[in-house]
Amino acid sequence: MQSSAIIFKNPIKYQDALDFQYRLLEARQNDKISDCVLLLQHKPVVTIGNRGRENFLLKKIDEYKQIGIDVHKVERGGDVTFHGPGQWVLYPILHLGKKIADSHGYLYNLEEIAIRTLNNYSVKGFRREGKSGAWTDRGKIAAIGFRLKKWVSFHGMSFNVMNELDGFKTIIPCGLEGENITSLENYLGNKINMNDVGLQLLKNFSEICERDLNIYSEIDLLPDSLKGLNPPRF
Amino acid sequence: MSVPSELLYTKTHEWVSFSSGEATVGITDFAQSQLSDLTFVELPQSGISLSSGDEAAVVESVKAAADVYAPVSGEIIEVNNSLEDNPEIINNDAFGDGWLFKIKVNDESELNQLINADSYIEICPEH
Repeated sequence: MQSSAIIFKNPIKYQDALDFQYRLLEARQNDKISDCVLLLQHKPVVTIGNRGRENFLLKKIDEYKQIGIDVHKVERGGDVTFHGPGQWVLYPILHLGKKIADSHGYLYNLEEIAIRTLNNYSVKGFRREGKSGAWTDRGKIAAIGFRLKKWVSFHGMSFNVMNELDGFKTIIPCGLEGENITSLENYLGNKINMNDVGLQLLKNFSEICERDLNIYSEIDLLPDSLKGLNPPRF
Repeated sequence: MSVPSELLYTKTHEWVSFSSGEATVGITDFAQSQLSDLTFVELPQSGISLSSGDEAAVVESVKAAADVYAPVSGEIIEVNNSLEDNPEIINNDAFGDGWLFKIKVNDESELNQLINADSYIEICPEH
């Protein structure tokens, strides 16, 4: 069965994307929709995972508000991270366990998507023992945190393409002190096309997670089963 | 992948061992391998009553969190407190010392909703 990918062109408020994820999660649990994946950018936001420690926030909540960064405590795994425009976020809503690819472990697969995408841009990405995500020799480039409910995934992975990295300086990302954060553009030192990176992420997702994708980037083209779940404005 | 034949299973990757009115519940080897090294387990409180399908526990690794559901209705009569300090027991022995909680089963006919090892293997990706 075909899976769906939805690409959002404009940055989305964290809460709007989260609400949509919950609607997709419930629909997927009840087999009302097939597996799907969201590709989007967030408006500036700091999120704290389930076991996330607030002492990894370097500002007070009020101070974040003043500089235009929302703060959310969320029920995904993982610690503190930052999202903002210029960073792709991949939110797969997958019923895990249905494909051979799932036996590799979902965390491994998400890391593999990031590493392969870096490779597409001739950047060597790698895993680091005990430190999840995807890394380059100049710092971390992709962060992961997800949750399974009835074995359907939500939340997922973020991949720094051309985002301002200043937002990461307001936190201790993933609780890893002294570790550098980089982006693809920062690493390469030249301009790259945000859309192309997004499509590459989806292509690698499709291959690694063995989900054939119908890709939608216009709300009008969405099948009714997805349109009916009120996606945020594209 | 290990799937003991004497246990019952759910489609959400819990296992159940039933004897004298009590169901011992854990997560399967497949489930623990998907989550990798577990770092935290949130267990239900002893004495609370749950219906089958209710969220009963949360197991977490560094990057993942997954809900565990009550496979049958009843009262939580015991939880595996040793997991609080040593959640990795689940990774090492998912079907034994890594059990999560015990339920005093209200209605034994609910056990008929569970699946046997052969059916469980069918829903895992490696079969």
